[in-house]
Amino acid sequence: MTNETKPPEEPLFTAAEGIDVREIMADIRRGIEEKKTSGLLRQVEIDEIEEMELQPLPDFLEIPNVYENHLYPGQEAEPFIPFHLEPEVEGGKVKKLLGLFRRILMPLQRFMLRPFRTDLHNLIVELHNTNRRDVHQLKTLIPVVQQSKEYVKLLHNTINNMIVEASKLKIEEELLKTKIKVLEDKAAFLEERQRAVEKKLDGGS
Amino acid sequence: MKVHQFLTSYSYGDAIGNEALEIRNYLRGRGIESEIFSLFYHPRYAGQIINHREYPKYASADNVAIFHFSIGSPVTKTVLRQPDRKVMIYHNITPYHFFLDYHRVLAKDCFKGRVELKNLVGKVDLALGDSRYNEAELKELGFAQTGVLPLVMDFEKFSRPVVPVIRDIFDDGRTNFLYVGRIIPNKKVEDVIRIFHLYQKHFNPKSRLLLVGEYRGFERYLSALQKMVARLENKHIHFTGHVPEEELISYFRLGHLYLHMSEHEGFCAPVPESFHLDIPVVAFAAGAVPETMQGGGLLLNRKSPLDAAALCDRVLRDTELREKVLESQRRVIRSYRRDRTGRILLEHLEKLTGRKGLFNNETV
Repeated sequence: MTNETKPPEEPLFTAAEGIDVREIMADIRRGIEEKKTSGLLRQVEIDEIEEMELQPLPDFLEIPNVYENHLYPGQEAEPFIPFHLEPEVEGGKVKKLLGLFRRILMPLQRFMLRPFRTDLHNLIVELHNTNRRDVHQLKTLIPVVQQSKEYVKLLHNTINNMIVEASKLKIEEELLKTKIKVLEDKAAFLEERQRAVEKKLDGGS
Repeated sequence: MKVHQFLTSYSYGDAIGNEALEIRNYLRGRGIESEIFSLFYHPRYAGQIINHREYPKYASADNVAIFHFSIGSPVTKTVLRQPDRKVMIYHNITPYHFFLDYHRVLAKDCFKGRVELKNLVGKVDLALGDSRYNEAELKELGFAQTGVLPLVMDFEKFSRPVVPVIRDIFDDGRTNFLYVGRIIPNKKVEDVIRIFHLYQKHFNPKSRLLLVGEYRGFERYLSALQKMVARLENKHIHFTGHVPEEELISYFRLGHLYLHMSEHEGFCAPVPESFHLDIPVVAFAAGAVPETMQGGGLLLNRKSPLDAAALCDRVLRDTELREKVLESQRRVIRSYRRDRTGRILLEHLEKLTGRKGLFNNETV
């Protein structure tokens, strides 16, 4: 165990020579302790007063009007990645052999697929038309969606601005209350002044 | 040789403005031509103060331009552009962080002021601080020629009588705690309120606190203080706002104890003023306050509201202690004579201009 001594506490105050700071401090401490013992002074109450923080009103200049960055953080559109097939890997001899088979089987293949060709053609035409119709519909819908998106943003901004304005009004109201309090104090003081003057005038007459 | 002065703002009742006026009157009394140039000034001083933009008409290499520096402003540029020899009197700049919660614009100006101050190194012939605390800051920044010019104090104004109505209202047997100064965050008015509240509640219910000073521009700070007073449910704390000089003197004369808890002061003029009026001073040791008090009064080394309240009670009740405190204050006040400050200024001017005789002409 070390034999460390606690450094002496800095005196509460400094005064001119001839004033016994330590004695006065001891007296003060004694008096306070007596008050605490007698219940006149409660530590909780002292702590509450000593730790009471000021609660300043916020400065309305600090409230931002635009908040889209906070509302839509990092919402960038995902990049378009096109679909593609992996290329077929065919060796030289295999390729030649497959080409030979294809050439031999081509008339048979044509004969066999002929009935489906018309169906496929019709399907392609139908799909193409469906696609064109969808694209056409999308083209008419996109501006509506875009417009709706802007309306939502506008709505958010409007609500935000309303909150901002309401906050500013609240701060202004609080400041006006302060001013009213100041004016009330001044009025009370002026009343006292008036009474003092009247008293003087009455005394003089 | 003419000696002109520059200020950013000349407000009514402001310590820097008062000093400029005192210096001007002192110099004029010695036959030295002197004018004051400012960016802003109170309408009351129209005709006495000249706009700083008009200075080029007065500029001359033979002149001395005294620049009272306390905040960043365009006046700095005006002074630097002139051929005059330049003397800066540094009144200190409140650290900007005190204003962040209450006055962003002032916080910015204070920040800019510190930057401007750094830029003035090597551009003025002499840099004076109104306390050794301020001079130390100038030396640290690298100013080569520095000195101290104590704030010119005019104690003659206190010989005026108390406004009778103010006396009738506040001289009613209650103990008056006094704080004089602007109601701004660095002055820590909340600590003054805390100490007074504890004093009133536990030592002397028959007491009141007079907070005398301007709060315009700091309504949000005032509002926070008023909320605090409301939470404490104390009805004897008075914010007087800005008062005319005769009323200020009256408040001083009615004060029984001067309490100052500011955490940044470049000089603190109300302390010597209270010394002069034999009001015991209890002040917190921050900035230049210990130097201004010079061992007089009671200097608090830490903030312990209950102990401070008990100390205030002790000094008000204990006649012997009170007399000792007042005696220590009387000793100090001799060093704040106006003529002494005037002489120091003339000594600095003589050194700067190399002209003898300014000091010997005892006409004031």
